[in-house]
Amino acid sequence: MNEKYAPILVVDDEPEMCWILENIIRKTGLACMTALSAREAIALTESNKFGMAFLDAKLPDIDGLELARKLRKTNAHLPIVIVSGYFYQDDPTIERVLQEGLIAAFVGKPFDHDEIVSVITRYARR
Amino acid sequence: MENKTLKATGHDLSERYEQLYTMLLDAIPSSVLLIDQNMRIVSANRNFLEKGQRTLANTIGYGLEEVFPTVILDQMDITKRIRQVIENNQPAKGERMTYRAPGVPIRIYYYSILPFTWQGRVEGAVLLMEDVTERVRLSEEVRRVERHLGSVVESASDLVLSTDKKGRILTWNAAAERLSGYPAAEAQEHDFTDFCTDEDRKDIRNIFSRIDTRKYARQMKECPLRTRQETFIPVSWVFSPLKDSSNQTAGVVAVGRDLTEKQKFETELHQSQKFAALGVMAGGIAHEIRNPLAICSSSAQFLMEEDGTPEFRRECAGKIHKGIQRTSAIIENLLKYSHPSTTTRTTLVNLASLIKETLTLVTYHANILKIDMKTSFPREPIMVQGVATLLQQVFMNLFLNAINAMPTGGRLGIDVKMDHSEVRVQVTDTGCGISPREIGKIFDPFYTTSIVGQGTGLGLSLCYSIVKQHRGTIEAESVEGQGSVFTVKLPAHFGGGES
Repeated sequence: MNEKYAPILVVDDEPEMCWILENIIRKTGLACMTALSAREAIALTESNKFGMAFLDAKLPDIDGLELARKLRKTNAHLPIVIVSGYFYQDDPTIERVLQEGLIAAFVGKPFDHDEIVSVITRYARR
Repeated sequence: MENKTLKATGHDLSERYEQLYTMLLDAIPSSVLLIDQNMRIVSANRNFLEKGQRTLANTIGYGLEEVFPTVILDQMDITKRIRQVIENNQPAKGERMTYRAPGVPIRIYYYSILPFTWQGRVEGAVLLMEDVTERVRLSEEVRRVERHLGSVVESASDLVLSTDKKGRILTWNAAAERLSGYPAAEAQEHDFTDFCTDEDRKDIRNIFSRIDTRKYARQMKECPLRTRQETFIPVSWVFSPLKDSSNQTAGVVAVGRDLTEKQKFETELHQSQKFAALGVMAGGIAHEIRNPLAICSSSAQFLMEEDGTPEFRRECAGKIHKGIQRTSAIIENLLKYSHPSTTTRTTLVNLASLIKETLTLVTYHANILKIDMKTSFPREPIMVQGVATLLQQVFMNLFLNAINAMPTGGRLGIDVKMDHSEVRVQVTDTGCGISPREIGKIFDPFYTTSIVGQGTGLGLSLCYSIVKQHRGTIEAESVEGQGSVFTVKLPAHFGGGES
């Protein structure tokens, strides 16, 4: 991919998870910024335009889904992907927010890198 | 007054004596017969005639076989015995005789035969028969009651035993024989303390030494019974003084109940509570394990790609190693917690480490609910005497309850303090609180406000019974809508502990 794509936001309280997602994203040729909390993430969105966001479901300050709603308010078209070990694929909560259109996709931990690459290919915006 | 006896002539005197002896003979409650050498009745007193429903006329001068039923004479061999007495001039004593005369209820006699000598010559024999029918009946009744009481004690499934004041075993019932493996005869060679553990001996001696004081008339103690196979059976004992007929303490009665079944049930209950707690925490635990798993998995995937620099590949390997260690530590915590504990023996427990370990498990659950944990422990180790797995249950229950009271986040405070001779653990939450109407019922078994499937209603009642078992107290204070404080106090153990 090329520089036409906006950077991707990664939010996870686990620095190692940020490191992993960052590496995967970089390999696809896109830029990436990481945040360890919802507060940090919101601060980043205030000065950056992101083409996509990977959010952990359980963050130390507020839930990933709550953060998704906040981000959605300022950026109606931001594709949001929840990456979590707390929920599972057919989780009623996940099904509801997918239907609602709050999130574009859900990826359970642990994941194959191909899954991440395919959601990037599918949803990343310019 | 004139004394007539003194003036009486010899003839007069013998007549008087005869009358006096006849009177005496008729008055005594025994039958007296005088029998001559030919086995003929010479004299019979009133008692004999009445008992045998005879008259003097059909008795005096008659042969023994005409007065006594043949059966008795043959069976008891009375004739032969009388002859022997006369021949040997030696009394025969103490035989029992059952007398059945036609139309008369059965009587039982105790008889003796005395030789009757007149001027150095044996003239006949006196047959003395004492009616012991009533006495025999009474002693049989006593024996029957004794047998009944005995069989009550023997049939009891509880241990029932008695000792003298010093603790030497006097009686030992069948249950005691069965449970201990010692027959009564062997147990009687021992002191009660021989059947106790070394550490219980001192307590038992104390109990025995003050058993006859009014204040300690009934003392209870759970102390294991040492069996012949050198195993120990958990027994709950009640000791009471054994009073003699003058109300003096003659010894101790000990009644013991085998607690094996009860303990088995309690262990099962605790185990099921543990699993219930694990179920509550499952989400948090899964989340906690999947994070390091994701790190391992991704690092492995990076390694499988060919293009990584050696530095990057080393980093990946390091992350895999760390991730596996982290996962393993979580699993180890879970294993330790869920491992069934069969031991109910108390040991010295470092309460602060126990609470910290329990908190580690709960953290996974608390984190995902955005619950802040604030802990405060004293610097020195806090030791209590107790069963570690049971105490862990208490705190696990209290922590999970506090967390469940804060579904939208809050603060869980754990404050451990030494307060004179006791340890005080306060568990504070900023949750929904308990209404004044409910707070009185929270320690009752099966009382729950959780919806079906979320709570068993046994958590706090188990906490209560475990804390009580550890001679502690548990109290709850709550303001509805603001939160609750649960305070557990346990007796602290000083000296000789681990550091």
